[in-house]
Amino acid sequence: MTPSPLVLDGLMVGGMLFALGLVGILARRNLIVMFLSAELMLQGVSVSLVSWSRHHGDWGGHVLVIFVLTVAACEAAVALVFVLQAFARSGRLDSAAWQSLRESNLSRTVDHELPAVDAVAPVFPRLTPAGVAPHVAEDANLEREHV
Amino acid sequence: MSPGEGLSMTGSILAVAVGCAAASLWLLLPRGEGGVRERMARRFGTLLGCVSLALFIATGHRLGGVGEEAVFLVVALVAVISGAATIVTRSPVYSAIWFALALAGVAGVLLVLGAQFLGVATIVVYAGAILVMFLFVLMLAQPSGMAPYDRVSNEPLLSAVAGAVLLGLLTLFIGRLSAGPADCCAVPSKATALGSEGAQDSAVADAPSADPLAANHVARLGGELFGRHLLAVEAAGVLLLVALIGSIAIVSRTPPEERVELARRADA
Repeated sequence: MTPSPLVLDGLMVGGMLFALGLVGILARRNLIVMFLSAELMLQGVSVSLVSWSRHHGDWGGHVLVIFVLTVAACEAAVALVFVLQAFARSGRLDSAAWQSLRESNLSRTVDHELPAVDAVAPVFPRLTPAGVAPHVAEDANLEREHV
Repeated sequence: MSPGEGLSMTGSILAVAVGCAAASLWLLLPRGEGGVRERMARRFGTLLGCVSLALFIATGHRLGGVGEEAVFLVVALVAVISGAATIVTRSPVYSAIWFALALAGVAGVLLVLGAQFLGVATIVVYAGAILVMFLFVLMLAQPSGMAPYDRVSNEPLLSAVAGAVLLGLLTLFIGRLSAGPADCCAVPSKATALGSEGAQDSAVADAPSADPLAANHVARLGGELFGRHLLAVEAAGVLLLVALIGSIAIVSRTPPEERVELARRADA
């Protein structure tokens, strides 16, 4: 039986999310963004499982997605602890900080000098002032330049 | 135009769409160039991404009703665009917030697909708990300012090509599914095999009410989970406990023997 159009579109969305997650985990170097990409892949798998569940009129996909949620929660807890430990040791959230663990036949990741960040001042939202303004020293910088 | 010709036409459009998506991701990923070049690359990449999405939508399947189609289109676009923004944004904090939006889109897709409980659970568990944990870790660990490793990528071209190959294969497979009763999915669907629940024929199979899992959804899902899958639920509970204990054990700096010694000294 041909799957219904809704099932096919759901599979397509799931496939796109999975591919995006794959690109993210391969290309990005920030450990947290890599981890978010892995979660994106899990979301793609969830959407595909629910689509197939609808196609077959079966609960298997739904139950499997519940277990995906559970395991993702465990994985997030343990992996974030690892990320924190890695940050405590290297001072960076950079996966290349651990490149001494690479295979011996792979070349080193070398960082080139990066050009300066664009000097476009960030625009922060302004709230309507209310009450009395607290005394702030002239040179105090209350905003981070970047988030 | 014969059906075969139409199929190859759709296939070539989809191939172009996948290629555009890969090129767009390659242009959008952090390149570490800075200045006008990077800004132009991002603009061009956004344009290519829009073209790719438009092609995907043009070749998509027509759903039952206009309303359902519009809702699915909106939530799917939210999910895919925010997912792409998650992986191309330089700042990891913005990445996490885009991921929250992607989760909202995915929850919407799940709701349209008839998974009411899972849609809500995704929002509660992911956006409510896991994502907040991410933001806490970012708050603890993210240095002020843009870190250099957030502004460059590992092999952006090869990564985009890998993603395109995967997406192309998946598109090919899904296109074959829609082309007709292929040999790969000859297993009869339970919805049609069960006479009582799936009394619908293929003409109404696309209507939302045709979902055989819709009636008493959450109650039946709970019955299935705690009936056939009771052992797996217990195993998942043990897994959660182990993860909890494991993460506490990893994160605490002092070794356990020293902690016992410290406690003993405090008692004395």
